[in-house]
Amino acid sequence: MAGSGAIQMRDSDEVVLRVESLVMEFPAGRNQVVHAVSDVSFDVCRGETLGIVGESGCGKSTTARALVQLPRPTSGTVTLDPGADGQVELTGIEGEALRSVRPRVQMIFQDPISSLNPRRRVRDIIGEGLIIWQDQHPDVDVDARVDEVLRAVGLDPVVAASRRPHEFSGGQCQRISIARALAIDPEILICDEPVSALDVSVQAQILNILEEMKERFGLTLVFISHDLSVVRNVSDRVVVMYLGKVCEIGNSDSLFSEPAHPYTRVLLASAPEPSTVVDASEVAIGDEVPSPINPPSGCRFRTRCPRVTELCASAEPVMRKMGPDHFVACHFPGSP
Amino acid sequence: MDTPPQVDPAEQFGVVVARRLGFGFWIAAAWIIIIVTAAALAPWLPIADPNETGVGGRMDGPGWSNWFGTDSNGRDMFARTIWGARVSLIVGFFSVLLGICVGGTLGMIAGYFRGIVDRIISFSVFVLLAYPGLVLALLIVGLAGQTLPIVAMTLGIVAIAPIARLSRATTLAYSEREFVAAARVLGATDRRIMVRELLPNVLIPMGALTLLGMAITIVAEGGLAFLGLSVEEGFSWGKMIVLGSSPRTLREGPWVAMFPIGAMFVTVLALNFAGDRLREYFDVRELGIGAA
Amino acid sequence: MATPLLSVTDLQVGFATERGLLRAVDGVSFDLAEGQTLGIVGESGSGKSVTAKTLMNLLPSYARVEGSVMFDGRDVRAMAAERERHFWGVEMTMVFQDPMTSLNPVKKVGEQIAESLRVHLKRSRREARDDAGDLLQQVGIPEPKKRLTQYPHELSGGLRQRVVIAMALACSPRLLIADEPTTALDVTVQKHILDLLDELREERGMAMILITHDLGVVKGRADQIMVMYAGRTMEQADTATLFSEMRHPYTEALLETIPRVDMASHSRLVPIPGSPPDAVDLGQGCPFAERCRYCSASCLIDQPSLEQHRQGHACACHAPVGTDAGAAAHAANHETGVTPAGLDMGTFATAVGEKT
Ligand SMILES: Nc1ncnc2c1ncn2[C@@H]1O[C@H](COP(=O)(O)OP(=O)(O)OP(=O)(O)O)[C@@H](O)[C@H]1O
Ligand SMILES: Nc1ncnc2c1ncn2[C@@H]1O[C@H](COP(=O)(O)OP(=O)(O)O)[C@@H](O)[C@H]1O
Ligand code: SF4
Ligand code: SF4
Ligand SMILES: [Mg+2]
Ligand SMILES: [Mg+2]
Repeated sequence: MAGSGAIQMRDSDEVVLRVESLVMEFPAGRNQVVHAVSDVSFDVCRGETLGIVGESGCGKSTTARALVQLPRPTSGTVTLDPGADGQVELTGIEGEALRSVRPRVQMIFQDPISSLNPRRRVRDIIGEGLIIWQDQHPDVDVDARVDEVLRAVGLDPVVAASRRPHEFSGGQCQRISIARALAIDPEILICDEPVSALDVSVQAQILNILEEMKERFGLTLVFISHDLSVVRNVSDRVVVMYLGKVCEIGNSDSLFSEPAHPYTRVLLASAPEPSTVVDASEVAIGDEVPSPINPPSGCRFRTRCPRVTELCASAEPVMRKMGPDHFVACHFPGSP
Repeated sequence: MDTPPQVDPAEQFGVVVARRLGFGFWIAAAWIIIIVTAAALAPWLPIADPNETGVGGRMDGPGWSNWFGTDSNGRDMFARTIWGARVSLIVGFFSVLLGICVGGTLGMIAGYFRGIVDRIISFSVFVLLAYPGLVLALLIVGLAGQTLPIVAMTLGIVAIAPIARLSRATTLAYSEREFVAAARVLGATDRRIMVRELLPNVLIPMGALTLLGMAITIVAEGGLAFLGLSVEEGFSWGKMIVLGSSPRTLREGPWVAMFPIGAMFVTVLALNFAGDRLREYFDVRELGIGAA
Repeated sequence: MATPLLSVTDLQVGFATERGLLRAVDGVSFDLAEGQTLGIVGESGSGKSVTAKTLMNLLPSYARVEGSVMFDGRDVRAMAAERERHFWGVEMTMVFQDPMTSLNPVKKVGEQIAESLRVHLKRSRREARDDAGDLLQQVGIPEPKKRLTQYPHELSGGLRQRVVIAMALACSPRLLIADEPTTALDVTVQKHILDLLDELREERGMAMILITHDLGVVKGRADQIMVMYAGRTMEQADTATLFSEMRHPYTEALLETIPRVDMASHSRLVPIPGSPPDAVDLGQGCPFAERCRYCSASCLIDQPSLEQHRQGHACACHAPVGTDAGAAAHAANHETGVTPAGLDMGTFATAVGEKT
């Protein structure tokens, strides 16, 4: 699955984030290279939630971090407001220029404990962004803003603000992370598996808060998860990734009602309560994702694909159109 | 999900400290406080002048008039032990302070920026470590003179390398944490991240190390004293031990060496113990299972 | 049902903590027949793992245990006291959430399996090695010969869990307890592992206890389900009944809180408001009262007992879902907008701007 090609890209004024041919490679010793993300392209429109789903190790977090230039991708571009006058190519700027646009794109991480500094109090953690940018916005009342976002995520400022992270549960820590990101009023919020470490009941609370915050603060979300049902719940558009490549991308309704890529179908059939649009027999072969150091030739999913043929090994499938807003990178897409 | 039990928010910080640090820690801390206070207040304490000869007889054993006895010049050993603490503690404290300021900063810079900066600093530290500390100290003190600042600085330089190593390792570990990434995404500058996010975390093991490091430098200063390289003016425990260790003195008045040895031993033990407990305690807190 | 393989009656487990007695398990009873699967479901901290660890005799020594645990007519707790070594690991075994808790990171996979075979089944070195290969084959590990010589960290999470299962199965146990065996794994791998456990259970006629916090996981796999909360059994029934005639508000809440792939995008999830109670200080009344939308005044003072309203379906609630009492309590709370426990009913309706 090689989701090479770019026909999935939209040409709209509404696009606020465009990622083109993103490649991220890490050195792995002995002259080897980890191909964590290979030629990934997608875009996100204003007010939209883009879901990214895939098994662990398929490059979701790497993609998310590349969006905020942590670290800078090996190649490819990440552009804010493409085509507009104020277009900013994040991959083309550095230093102070990059730092000054950082507040526009914020991020929430998977591990609620590790994403908060154990030595700082909640008020300082959430106010950090405001204090950093206070020179530019001298009229912002930091304390009032901290109270406001704390209340927005359902925590009582009186009780919470003076405590340290270890006094909170995982779900509460995740709320604090959300509050920190929202305090500086970002346009885009990237959520890297924000609910994966949480209990099911807490998961629903956090998902609801994210939806609420999206409305209230006019956010555009990039939401990453390995859980299809969670992604389905929050997303307008979904990217399915496997081993550093995009398999399928499309409007959420169309992608989930007519999944075209064998891997998407495998994911749907493996859910604890499998989707009815796929057959229970459509499961992946084996448990093991091949190493990203030596990804399979041709289609990267071929070693586990129930539909694999010889063509899949020799030619990398190119992104093709399945519907108005539904694209897939497979030689034999659609239902079997 | 097996999550560690949550710490009860009502738990008062003080309560937790008292419980986890343990009785032994407080005894050690009490000793350190007593010895530091006594050393600091030595000039005002109602004790004999440590340099005044003939306060008692020569080589009087411990007794009511001279608690720790007197030395061959008839100087009061109790007063001398307290005054000796002054030099030993000053050397211990300031050398570790220097080590932490320089080594800690270098380590943090190496651990945070990595890459070429890390390689240069790590290599220098490696060279410094490979060079025998004692030889280095001999060289500096021998060349620069045997004054208190020089001795403290010398031991401080020797302390830089191990402290830099610890600081670098701790910084590396914390830099991986997602709160550092979060701070960068917020737009924090490198300096701000190092000061606000990393320093408070690195300081904890450093604080424990201050105590352990003081213990080591106090002993090291004793080592210098044996080579005749401790402070020329005044005296430290180390120098007192040397003075009391001539075969004749040992035979006729073992207390002359014993009391400074005992004071040094107990102090070093207390510093070690307190430092160790403190480190353990903060490690545990770190994991969020402090009250478990 | 003839005599069940495992029969647990009124199990109570407490831990003495500084703040008082923590009742981790409080009055749990169930029977499990050979070849059957029991699913235990509940949020974090509801006492699932403690129940499992009690059966496995893995509790710390300061735990206070009461109640009876009978395995095939033998008193398990008495065996624990007599340090009966060849019971755990042989007749009853357990698979944990994190495979690394059961694997030695510095020993080759093959050696580890062979060792347990040698200890428990007194196999010779050679036999043990051959059997280890067979076992890996049985749990669906490709190239078992190669895997035997690898270290745990060289395997993916799914393969590691398979190795642990292979070790658990080495002595042909009659009961396998799987405590969230797939929570740390990807969906595709989760499905494989759960299917594998199911197959093995069927083949060997083993009984199985499957612990999870996701009702969806046990839905198609367990014969019976026990829903736990705050150490107590809230509802207990065979799986079909539980899903068709769900009675406990907590079970309903657990089900509503999970998104499903067949739900439309942005469907509103109904979170369970608040968090589980402090097991040290449960007070009187129903432990779920603060979070329950069916709560009525009596729930705050009177702890509901687990009652069978018909054969094979028990529930501990004053106003069960689907009964008149439940409907009345819900309507009354809806009316006043707040439950007697002080929960704002708005949390259920408008937690998120009206989603479609
Ligand atoms: N050794 C122990 N000492 C004190 N309390 C304990 C101990 N083990 C468990 N508990 C407490 O017992 C309660 C039940 O814990 P248990 O591990 O059974 O939960 P669980 O249902 O398995 O949750 P999870 O889904 O997180 O695994 C919790 O309140 C827990 O903190
Ligand atoms: N800093 C790094 N150095 C080397 N390899 C890395 C690094 N970060 C990620 N990888 C590798 O890149 C691949 C994708 O990782 P990641 O994006 O974290 O996956 P996901 O978030 O989808 O689980 C994995 O094989 C991972 O091991
Ligand atoms: S059919 Fe071929 S191209 Fe399509 S996913 Fe399978 S292996 Fe890849
Ligand atoms: S209705 Fe009452 S008894 Fe039943 S679960 Fe709710 S609070 Fe408990
Ligand atoms: Mg990830
Ligand atoms: Mg558990």
